[in-house]
Amino acid sequence: MTLGLLLIVAFGGALLTYLLGKISSKLRDVWAVLVSLAVLFGTATFYGKSVHDALSYKFLGLPLVLRTNELSWFFAIAICGVGSLSIIFSLSYIKNRERTDFYYFLMLLINASMLGIVFAGDLLSFYVFWEIMSWSTFLLISYNRGNALPAGMKYIVMSVIGSAAYLVAALSLYAKYSTLTFSAISTQMTTASPGFTLFILILGFMVFGIKNAVVPFHTWLPDAHSEAPSPFSAVLSGILIKMGTYGLILFLYVLVGFNQFSQLAWKAISLQTVLCWLGAITIVIPTFIALMQDDAKRLLAWHSIGQIGYIILGIAFGTSLGVAGGAFHVLNHATFKALLFLCVGAVEYRTGGVRDLNSLGGLMRKMPITFIGALIGAFGIIGMPLTNGFVSKWLIYKTLILNQNPFLAFAALLGTWGTLLSFYKFLHNIFLGQLPDKYKDLKKAPTSMQIPILLYAGIIVLFGVLPGIPLKIIGGFVTSFGLTPLKINLWGIVSETGILNTINVSMAVVSAFFVAWVVFAFAGRSVPTTAQDTYAAGAQIPQDKYQYSVEFYNPLYRMVGSYLRDVIDEFYGWLARVTQMTGELVRRVYTGDVGDYVLYIVFIVAASIGLKIWWPT
Amino acid sequence: MRWFIAQIILSPLFALAAGIFFMGLFRVIMARIQWRYGPPMAQPLIDLTRLFSQKTVSHGAIFDFGILLSLAGSLVVILFLPMGNMCPMSGSGGLLVVLYLMLLMPFGGALSGGGGANPNISIGISRKFILSLGYEVPFLLVILAVMTHYETISLVEIAQHQQEGGWAIFSWSLFLSGIAYLLIFPAMLGIRPFDVASAPQEISSGINVEYGGKYLALAHIEHALSLSIGLALFVNLFLGGGSNVGYFFLKMVVIFFGGLCVHAVLPRFRVEQAIKYLWKWPTALALTGLVIAVLMR
Repeated sequence: MTLGLLLIVAFGGALLTYLLGKISSKLRDVWAVLVSLAVLFGTATFYGKSVHDALSYKFLGLPLVLRTNELSWFFAIAICGVGSLSIIFSLSYIKNRERTDFYYFLMLLINASMLGIVFAGDLLSFYVFWEIMSWSTFLLISYNRGNALPAGMKYIVMSVIGSAAYLVAALSLYAKYSTLTFSAISTQMTTASPGFTLFILILGFMVFGIKNAVVPFHTWLPDAHSEAPSPFSAVLSGILIKMGTYGLILFLYVLVGFNQFSQLAWKAISLQTVLCWLGAITIVIPTFIALMQDDAKRLLAWHSIGQIGYIILGIAFGTSLGVAGGAFHVLNHATFKALLFLCVGAVEYRTGGVRDLNSLGGLMRKMPITFIGALIGAFGIIGMPLTNGFVSKWLIYKTLILNQNPFLAFAALLGTWGTLLSFYKFLHNIFLGQLPDKYKDLKKAPTSMQIPILLYAGIIVLFGVLPGIPLKIIGGFVTSFGLTPLKINLWGIVSETGILNTINVSMAVVSAFFVAWVVFAFAGRSVPTTAQDTYAAGAQIPQDKYQYSVEFYNPLYRMVGSYLRDVIDEFYGWLARVTQMTGELVRRVYTGDVGDYVLYIVFIVAASIGLKIWWPT
Repeated sequence: MRWFIAQIILSPLFALAAGIFFMGLFRVIMARIQWRYGPPMAQPLIDLTRLFSQKTVSHGAIFDFGILLSLAGSLVVILFLPMGNMCPMSGSGGLLVVLYLMLLMPFGGALSGGGGANPNISIGISRKFILSLGYEVPFLLVILAVMTHYETISLVEIAQHQQEGGWAIFSWSLFLSGIAYLLIFPAMLGIRPFDVASAPQEISSGINVEYGGKYLALAHIEHALSLSIGLALFVNLFLGGGSNVGYFFLKMVVIFFGGLCVHAVLPRFRVEQAIKYLWKWPTALALTGLVIAVLMR
């Protein structure tokens, strides 16, 4: 199988899905799942291979290239995995909605275009796939109409700005080196002047920062993630925004190279420090804004920004542990955030679209599998031991502390506490506590929703106990960036300064749990009781009102709430209003009356003559 | 190998015994300060035996799972924490893993509480988490200052450095951090003026309200272990650890007695007051301490 064929299957499959939907919806569903799985297996066959295929057609006589290596494959497999699980989840989620053919077509198209992005070997094909992805994402974000339309608009405006920046960068690179392929550019960039490198990197950071939702380019994300259909939110948050991370790695480590990137500085401030601090800000502020959210999906969306902060911090920090941690966190965030979005999706599906954290509760008893999924996802995002999030965050913290950067480490660790608080609230307000009367007859999630949830949960635990599996691939491309190679075994990283042996940590937790369980099991008996049989100081339990979930962290909100505003979003809103007002003023000049225009001409001619006469010479 | 296995068994047992001793000491000393006769020192042990044999009710799987997770969390932290010359898991991870494993305790307890479906518990958890966020800000700064100063993430090495070169709290570069740690210490142990999470008079002991029988017993054990953990961490970070268990225990007793004196005379803060306190002086001191540690390395 060649890369070209794989992409043809992916794109052709998407189109065929749309056409098949016109014949039969059953057939279309089966076909969509088959296509996504075929692409997944197709991608899997490229494991460990390094391919560089020049395409048979050329652009302005310049060769176009499809290529894969460890970096591309790592992202590609994550794309296909998240994509196919979301398709399976969609089977029941989207069933009774309108425009389902269109939905499946776009889901598969986005998958295909993301694959194109990571397999593209030159600036032009990268751009083409990038644009397909941006535009089809816009269509899916606004799929729900209503509030989703302005959310999509916000996304596409920022996306277009990013694309424009990309074009400037690509054209400058082309004008300078007369080539489009990444491999040729990267060899030539080694001799580029620092000014040019900085110019390219700043443009790159704009393009990919917008897609990646790094502060200050994050403002599109909370609206887009919360308004999109949930299985697509999983793709969006899980992997689509990571295309920005891929682009950033491509620009920083492949095109420019770490040595040049780390030397860029203006007086004492280096570009690397700036990027690291942007990462740190991206961790702390969005995480605490997330804590204040009442909409389950909005909460998850703000956390996506926060987790992206860890990725940016790890990658920009530029040690092999940091880059490995950042890249591993890409994969980990894809698993647990997709899982969490799917869990919210399942709740939303059963409750008729409710995702307000204040009106749910006690669903654990009705939707046990979904609850287990959400619990493991929450463990992952907090970074509890035995989950994959623990390992990637640990790598990042460790490198920050060992390389004497306690302030960045503080930001990262504080972000973990913010995550803990808001995910307890998330779990408590949806699944724990008292079950409202209206959800008494709620059914558990359909099987097609439970399968992806359980698979994700399995992956999170698997990579938490055996992080060596993904770290082996990551270690491969980290070495290819010219960083110190990492010594990796199945259980973790053997580094020069102490071992992170996750199997030790895992074994310790499991055996301690076992000891606690033995004590528990042999102690006195306990009989099960209902949620209504709770202590209320002798008073009767007020039916349906015995729940504390609205404003869960009320004292904290009152203290810090007024500081945690999205100032940047307000600034962009102000900018948009000012632009509109200026436009309005300019529009008044264009009255559409020919007489007025003649008058303007006469005035300007008169003014020029006047200037000519009275201008002191 | 034999010593390793012995440590794995002895170190949690020591922590448990110490914790139960502290709980007994707590009640006796409080009684004497209040001019009461008070219960015998072994009262916590008597309570535990009674509770374990009682029949009780369970609120379902997550109610059981949470308390076990919380207990497992505290047991694991103890394995990674040096107790005098015992530290079975010193090799894998150090202070960072301890920081992370310490998340299991409150989160496990909170999950169990959520299973209990009682608003008193939820309020207690909410308060507990806000308080944790409050002391975690200065605490992380303190920990980072210590790690920066000794240039290691291993607790064993930190304690050893101090045994060779003097206690951290009396060193110039870590003095302020040590003071900051002392100021947040009552909040970390959950004693007055920071007993908002368990406030018996307001929210019926919060997180413990649905527990009876063996659940309450396990919650007591967890409390005992977390007392030991809090004290052991301070002794290791600032008082030079201990060359043997007895000496280590002595240091823990001294610090605990200091905490008791604070507990005995102060009323309870409201949550906002607690946060305001924690984010003001302790944080300022801890931040200054970290800057000093960075500058002096």
